[in-house]
Amino acid sequence: MASAAARSFVFRQHINTCRLDFASCLNIKSFYSSYSANPKEKSPEHYTQYHEVSSDNWKFVERLKPPTVVPSFPKNGSYFSDWTPPPDTPPNLPYFVKRTKNFMVPVYLNFEAIRNQRKITMVKHIEGDIWAMEKDIKSHLEEVTKRPVVSQVHEVGMYIKFRGDYALHVKKWLLNAGF
Amino acid sequence: MATKIINKTVTEFSLRITRCFFVPSKAIQTNAALFQERSETSITNVEEQLLPTIRPPLPIIYSRKLAFPPKFKAVRQAWVSNMDTVEEEKLGLIDLHPEVFAERPRVDIIHENVRWQQLYRHVSYANTKVRYEVRGGGRKPRPQKGSGRSRHGSIRSPIWRGGGIVHGPRSPTPYFYMLSFNARLNGLRSTLSAKLAQDDLHIVDSLDIPTDDPSYLEKLVEERGWGPAVLFVDDNDIMPLNITAASDVHGHYNLMPVYGLNVHSMLKHHTLVLTLAAVERIEERLLFHLNRNDAAEAGRKHRLDSL
Repeated sequence: MASAAARSFVFRQHINTCRLDFASCLNIKSFYSSYSANPKEKSPEHYTQYHEVSSDNWKFVERLKPPTVVPSFPKNGSYFSDWTPPPDTPPNLPYFVKRTKNFMVPVYLNFEAIRNQRKITMVKHIEGDIWAMEKDIKSHLEEVTKRPVVSQVHEVGMYIKFRGDYALHVKKWLLNAGF
Repeated sequence: MATKIINKTVTEFSLRITRCFFVPSKAIQTNAALFQERSETSITNVEEQLLPTIRPPLPIIYSRKLAFPPKFKAVRQAWVSNMDTVEEEKLGLIDLHPEVFAERPRVDIIHENVRWQQLYRHVSYANTKVRYEVRGGGRKPRPQKGSGRSRHGSIRSPIWRGGGIVHGPRSPTPYFYMLSFNARLNGLRSTLSAKLAQDDLHIVDSLDIPTDDPSYLEKLVEERGWGPAVLFVDDNDIMPLNITAASDVHGHYNLMPVYGLNVHSMLKHHTLVLTLAAVERIEERLLFHLNRNDAAEAGRKHRLDSL
């Protein structure tokens, strides 16, 4: 490994060529605030010794690392909760609700408006005829709860909001509908 | 200059922010080998570029194995054309991931992004003087009692003409704020989708053109109905010499690496031209962020390098 002094000499040489031709100095190494630019710094071998025992066992370390993207769910068919996997074929309806990246039904209970006192149930990731879906869910909720349900349809964002805490009802309805 | 990253509206800061979406990751398995890997410095031999390129018989279908294959959405397809002739030649079709290129455009999120990009670097220098900064006014104008007039302690009080200003603008006022991670991510998806839906997004095999004559590029853009302003995006930030020289005389033909891609520049230029390598990188990075496991880490504020 070249010493730091030699490297800085090379760096200066690069700066000289830089004035002549930009392309020739494309491989300039910038040190910025790196400690290795210090002339007193010696090569890593001077400070520590290491021995490579085995690279074959690295796969066990890899196994411990968390996955960077959301892994797929196990497809064994039995699960310990009420959760069911997303369907293979979409239901025969004019609308569709996509699962989230974590394979959950995108139904949320938000606390909004006046000092977060108002409970709002929100359904996201809707595709297709959002008005038909709002009509279906609303009639179901009114039938179940025996009271009028206020709703809001957002066509640009493609989500529906219901005033009140109907998250579990809506989730169940969506799962039964086959989403 | 071999590099040309000219978009006068995009500051270095913007590049740093948007770059974080496009930093390569080994986690996603890409199909980059399907595409022609281009050397970093294709600037040495001009004669070499004048030779006709050898292509497989047309049309080439760039059928790719999409990462995170869409289950219910149809894959969007787009033409791949060439840049080495003025007349457009359809080289083939490429599959595009619908979650990146066929999203439902959210105009509100696009607007949020544009406003953010305009504001985060804006500093207001409007200034007014408060009563202590206006010259004079240290002396009590008249005695408290006995004159028959109102009581005052300073002639620069805000209720006096020529007095100080209350709650006026104070300089410098920074307008910096950080847009949320998902708003930035969805802004890119929405803008790319809108551009493709409006036929303002074109895909080319590479940015290699046979000459560095600016009129060649003008004719090409005119012939294909692009522009007037065209943004060429490549994966690499060292662009081929010919297109660098040809686009250098025009302010409305700009070259940009993928890590500099941003909503404002895409909207500012009428046409967006992506190379195959750029498409691959954009899709890979955006899909990674859409499916990443540590979303909370991604959403942390004011951490430019760890987004």
